[in-house]
Amino acid sequence: MTRYILRRLLLLPLVVLGVTFLLFLLTQRLSPEMRASLYIKDPRQMGAMEEVIVKYGLRDNVFKQYGRWLGSALQGDLGYSHSANMPVASAIKEYLPATVQLAFATIILVLLFGIWFGTVSAVKKDKWQDIAARLISVGGFSLPIFVLGLLLLMLFYGKLGWFPPGGYSVMTDVTIHGPNFHQYTGLLLIDALLNGNLRVFWDVMRHLFLPAFTLCIGSFALMVRVMRSSMLEELGKDYVRTARAKGLAERAVVYRHAGKNAIIPVITLASIQFIRLLGGTVIVETIFQYPGIGRFGVTAAQQLDIAGIMGFSLMVAVLFVIGNLLSDILYTAVDPRIKLSE
Amino acid sequence: MDARKDTVLKVQDLKVAFHTELGTAEVLHGLDYQLEKGKVLAVVGESGCGKTVHALSLLKILPSGGEITCGHIYFKNKDILSLSSEELRKLRGAKISMIFQDPMTSLNPIRTVGAQLTETVLAHRKTSALRAQATAIRLLKKVGIPNAKERMKEYPFQFSGGQCQRIMIAMALCLHPDILIADEPTTALDVTVQAQILKLIKDLQTQNQMAAVFITHNLSIVADVADEVLVLYGGYCVEKASVEELFSRPLHPYTQGLLCSLVSVRDKQEKLPAIEGYPPAAGQTLSGCPFAPRCPKACAKCHESLPPLFTKNGHEVRCWLREEKA
Repeated sequence: MTRYILRRLLLLPLVVLGVTFLLFLLTQRLSPEMRASLYIKDPRQMGAMEEVIVKYGLRDNVFKQYGRWLGSALQGDLGYSHSANMPVASAIKEYLPATVQLAFATIILVLLFGIWFGTVSAVKKDKWQDIAARLISVGGFSLPIFVLGLLLLMLFYGKLGWFPPGGYSVMTDVTIHGPNFHQYTGLLLIDALLNGNLRVFWDVMRHLFLPAFTLCIGSFALMVRVMRSSMLEELGKDYVRTARAKGLAERAVVYRHAGKNAIIPVITLASIQFIRLLGGTVIVETIFQYPGIGRFGVTAAQQLDIAGIMGFSLMVAVLFVIGNLLSDILYTAVDPRIKLSE
Repeated sequence: MDARKDTVLKVQDLKVAFHTELGTAEVLHGLDYQLEKGKVLAVVGESGCGKTVHALSLLKILPSGGEITCGHIYFKNKDILSLSSEELRKLRGAKISMIFQDPMTSLNPIRTVGAQLTETVLAHRKTSALRAQATAIRLLKKVGIPNAKERMKEYPFQFSGGQCQRIMIAMALCLHPDILIADEPTTALDVTVQAQILKLIKDLQTQNQMAAVFITHNLSIVADVADEVLVLYGGYCVEKASVEELFSRPLHPYTQGLLCSLVSVRDKQEKLPAIEGYPPAAGQTLSGCPFAPRCPKACAKCHESLPPLFTKNGHEVRCWLREEKA
């Protein structure tokens, strides 16, 4: 297993090289002048363009330029993002933890609701519970996420006032950046617990709930579907009959026997969805003013912030490989027949 | 009839139907028999005749769509079909156990053999996990799994087919049931392993004075294990007799055909005699005897009306040809 993990990690640089090089090639479609103009804010300094082109070597061949980017990236310098007004590395460090937190919260909700609804749907096939579960999940799936997000905001913030309108936490300025709050991980929920500050924890939770719930509604339909069909398949298998024949209670038959087998395809789907969420969820981040990485990526693309785009895609590629590796490891935990040796 | 109080299982007019999108199909048309303590009843028939459906009805674990439409199943004077689901659960695996055709798929692939054995004990006995484990290990040894203690931690895929069936047998017998239902327990196994498994079941059955319902299509197995034989055809019992009687004097043309098609090592035949045609499909309604279309001795009456079971000296047969002799 260690060997397998090492081998997969050795593949990581290859994937990253491939992704970033292709993207870099794309940026070369812009002429050196166009790229140089991105550095010049003031129209009066247009005369300095040639200077900029020479200074940054924008006319060098593509391998040389890519090599320069790679060289500094390896030293942790991803360049300066003019769309975020800070170095790319700092921007990722600033925005990624919030997204990781949102992705975790969402995937936990998706798994909870997906597995629950899917199981009920399968066990009560064609009864009202099944029909209700399918209607809810398909309904959620069909509702555009910006409509759903705004509706939830209207209801839970506007009418009921249960949840804040958006943001990461109202305590960022005073408490979190204050002297008594130590940021260990950047993930505020975990940091709050580590600091023993339950007020911050509760506040971050409240801010997290609506965006996570919106994302969950939008993507748990697929999970219900997969869980339902996988559960139906397992319930028809011989070992389930054996479990019934030996006098196990129906709960044990469904959850302990069929459920554990049915969850294997769910892991695949969940890891794909999780990685997708890590890449950022622009719409939800925008509606709830959530300071996540998705907005950074989109802004960088809109403003032709090449350093930002390159840094963002580098991050996504790394997360993608690691996420897939984690889901492979998770398989072995559930299914003893899967061995990660060769 | 003096052994009446030792009757552990009595099936009366058992009818099973399957509800499908195409309509309802009756697959078992009224089965009657009783089974005494320590005796083995073999239920014989070809694929689709209702053997397995009958076995699953005994535990009320028919697949979805299946329904017992009529009849009674008495276990020691208690009607299984009138029990609550909790009473039924307590019966399954503890009083009436079952082993299945394909041992490799009948065990949960992702749970250890030990966990699957101990949970059976724990489902029925108020005992500690440690005690249940000890019971499981003892049984694994008894069914001939070497290194039982170490192998408890292994998964079904780490065992051979024969070993899996041994584990299934251990699981079925761990609570000393009164009745063992074996649904083609050796069909999926290699011929050499078949004999071992059969011997194991037979030995344990005699040791524990268990009654057993042995479902098979293999007549040579019947001769080895059974006391009584029930021949099923198209969802009907067509013949029922003691094993000696049936093998020496088969009365139904179908049974005669089955016995004729047995392979014997001694006489070298060119071609095995076979019964022409196919059994009726489930749900197909026949006005006459279900075997009539394939029967070499069928007459007009056979095609018109279903013969009742004629009984003579405990030998039951469903055939018009036996009418006058009954």
